[in-house]
Amino acid sequence: MLRRILGRGQPVAAGVPAATAEPTQPLETETEKHDYAVASEWELMWYKFKRHRLALICGVVVLLLYVVAAFVEFIAPYNPEAQNPAAAYQAPTRVHFVDAEGNFHLQPFVYGTTSQRNPDTFELEFVEDTSVIHPLQLFVRGDSYRMWGLFDANLHLFGVEDPNVRLYLLGADRQGRDMFSRIVHGTRISMSIGLVGVVMSFVIGIVVGGISGYFGGTVDLVVQRIIEFIRSMPTIPLWLGLAAALPADWSILQIYFAITVILSLIGWTGLAQVVRGRALALREEDFIMAARLSGTSRTRIIVRHMVPSFMSHIIAALTLAVPEMIIAETALSFLGLGLRYPAISWGVLLQEAQNLRSIALAPWLLAPGAMVVIAVLALNFFGDGLRDAADPYKR
Amino acid sequence: MSVAEQNAARSSDTARARHRLLDVRKLTKHYPITEGLLRREVARVRAVDDVTFHVDTGETLGLVGESGCGKTSTGRCLLRAIDPTSGEMVFDYGDGRVVDIAKLEGRALKDLRKDMQMVFQDPFSSLNPRWTLLDLVGEPLVAFRVAKGRELEDRVAELLRRVGLRPEYLRRYPHAFSGGERQRISIARALALNPRLVVADEPVSALDVSVRAQTLNLLEDLQQELGLTYIFISHDLSVVQHICDRVVVMYVGQVVEVADTSSLFFTPKHPYTEALLSAVPKPDPDLASSRIVLKGEVADPSNVPKGCAFHPRCPYAVDHCRQVEPKLETLGDGRQVRCHRAHELSLSGVE
Ligand SMILES: Nc1ncnc2c1ncn2[C@@H]1O[C@H](COP(=O)(O)OP(=O)(O)OP(=O)(O)O)[C@@H](O)[C@H]1O
Ligand code: SF4
Ligand SMILES: [Mg+2]
Repeated sequence: MLRRILGRGQPVAAGVPAATAEPTQPLETETEKHDYAVASEWELMWYKFKRHRLALICGVVVLLLYVVAAFVEFIAPYNPEAQNPAAAYQAPTRVHFVDAEGNFHLQPFVYGTTSQRNPDTFELEFVEDTSVIHPLQLFVRGDSYRMWGLFDANLHLFGVEDPNVRLYLLGADRQGRDMFSRIVHGTRISMSIGLVGVVMSFVIGIVVGGISGYFGGTVDLVVQRIIEFIRSMPTIPLWLGLAAALPADWSILQIYFAITVILSLIGWTGLAQVVRGRALALREEDFIMAARLSGTSRTRIIVRHMVPSFMSHIIAALTLAVPEMIIAETALSFLGLGLRYPAISWGVLLQEAQNLRSIALAPWLLAPGAMVVIAVLALNFFGDGLRDAADPYKR
Repeated sequence: MSVAEQNAARSSDTARARHRLLDVRKLTKHYPITEGLLRREVARVRAVDDVTFHVDTGETLGLVGESGCGKTSTGRCLLRAIDPTSGEMVFDYGDGRVVDIAKLEGRALKDLRKDMQMVFQDPFSSLNPRWTLLDLVGEPLVAFRVAKGRELEDRVAELLRRVGLRPEYLRRYPHAFSGGERQRISIARALALNPRLVVADEPVSALDVSVRAQTLNLLEDLQQELGLTYIFISHDLSVVQHICDRVVVMYVGQVVEVADTSSLFFTPKHPYTEALLSAVPKPDPDLASSRIVLKGEVADPSNVPKGCAFHPRCPYAVDHCRQVEPKLETLGDGRQVRCHRAHELSLSGVE
């Protein structure tokens, strides 16, 4: 059994603790030593998490994704449903710093595009009109929207002033809708379905895992067998079956919640196992018995001793459960069994990329897939970092 | 009267007349071994089997034996950290109240905590790492609503001083302390409610050899100052010889010998005690732990040998030992032994 002090000390055999518990790598000053001595669990976890660079960066990415999800209407330059037949499958607009005459501009700009049908292939071809420069600007007035159902606005984070020039940062789809705006809008459903699903699994997981770990014995055995059974079921057919059973006339909102329920029906098992594992480990800890022997009430032991020891582990497990949900939603929607038009999620957007022709013609339609990959990786690395930091007292 | 005066009064009382503090009669703790989904009991571990002994005020009673002989289980039953299977544990509060710990429930059980406390073996797992010293040492005071706020801080600071820690450490967390210091924190916590009896379960076994002596001295000093009574659980006979007044030797859940320390060490009456003494390792500063290693296997407490439980390992065993289980007998000089041949054998102790 090895014990590490904050991970920066050398391992010390548990039977023979060092005479003083100062970290072996000397702390520079008295203040530092004092800070370490009075550092709470969350501070110790933060020290530990900070050293995990990748997790830290991914944490920032995750945060950004949720900020985007909160402010989609403002961040997307256009209404995601605004169609423009003249721009069908238009390639991503090029952002320039150097104009046609070779002059450098500090402010990025775009050129307007004109489309014409190629007489041989009957495909639309796009030509940049280099006569007028349209600078990219922050805080532009554009399509109006209703923010969070509370107030009307038309301010967008960025865009071009001229309403006749369309900016297609990630190209356009079959109906000439801006893919970038659509992906930004998809962030809201895709990222939040993970959260809502996880909250639901969390409730089931905590209750079932807590019961299993607290009572142990037969209850635990039965619950464990059930969990193993659920885990051994192939998930895709199960989802398909459940999702296919949803009435076709349900509203987007109803479908959305039905999908989260379906996802969390399977997702809770992992959380339940984390909770059970912690509960069983805690039963072995002497400080729980010590608290009881000090006359501390059962409720207080649960609230002040057990829950805080669970907390960090549960947060890490929750974070790691979100990407599973995101993938699941994407898969279902992609197969047409989850959310459907007019809902916008990354999975729904990927449906557009289902045929070979559109992929060959407009590979940017796969961009929502890239977003899924980014979101899932960021959440996974972030969650890994959290999990590693979750127990700063690990022996 | 201040706490210190009360304690001084208590300790001079005890000097004048020792009386029974705790009487343990036929204490038994069996753990069922179950199998399958229905938890069918297939066997039982007889961790504590018909244990009888007593503790007088102001003394230190040692509880010794090999690993797995039921020392911890006995100690935990005494505090009702676990519930005994059967038996009585009569505790005398010294103010006229005499209770059977085995029968206490609810409020009365909580009240017992004020007078009986425990020091754990592992100073790392017995302190919640998320709590400051103020919370940890103050936990019993808060639980019994003895003090809060400023007064709580003062009481905790005083307790820390008492166990040799700086009172400024109030806001620190246990991770800033060594094993020896943590054990002092545990001791401070155990003393917070001013108990009469402290059960110390191998309080120094997990500590570095260099801090063991300090910790034992602290325990002895506190006993003097506060008039405490200790039940000291240990497998380390040299520690027991140093600190205990009387010793209870256990083997596979049973008491095999009870005697005052010097008699036990110089003239053991039970072959198991003799074997334990012969296996005491020579003091070796390089050796972190001095586990007793005896010849032969310790009997399995879920499958105790017929007759005398020690007979498979006993060099003096005769046929009678294999057939009939010996009883715990009181010899002429008040010593107790569980051996058919106690009268005839002449065993060797430490020189
Ligand atoms: N919760 C339990 N369930 C089943 N068996 C147990 C349990 N706790 C202890 N035992 C068994 O009871 C016996 C006595 O254990 P106990 O911990 O009381 O011994 P001990 O003398 O304190 O040993 P050690 O020196 O290793 O601490 C052992 O055989 C142990 O395996
Ligand atoms: S009763 Fe017999 S076997 Fe048991 S200790 Fe005594 S002599 Fe040995
Ligand atoms: Mg033990």
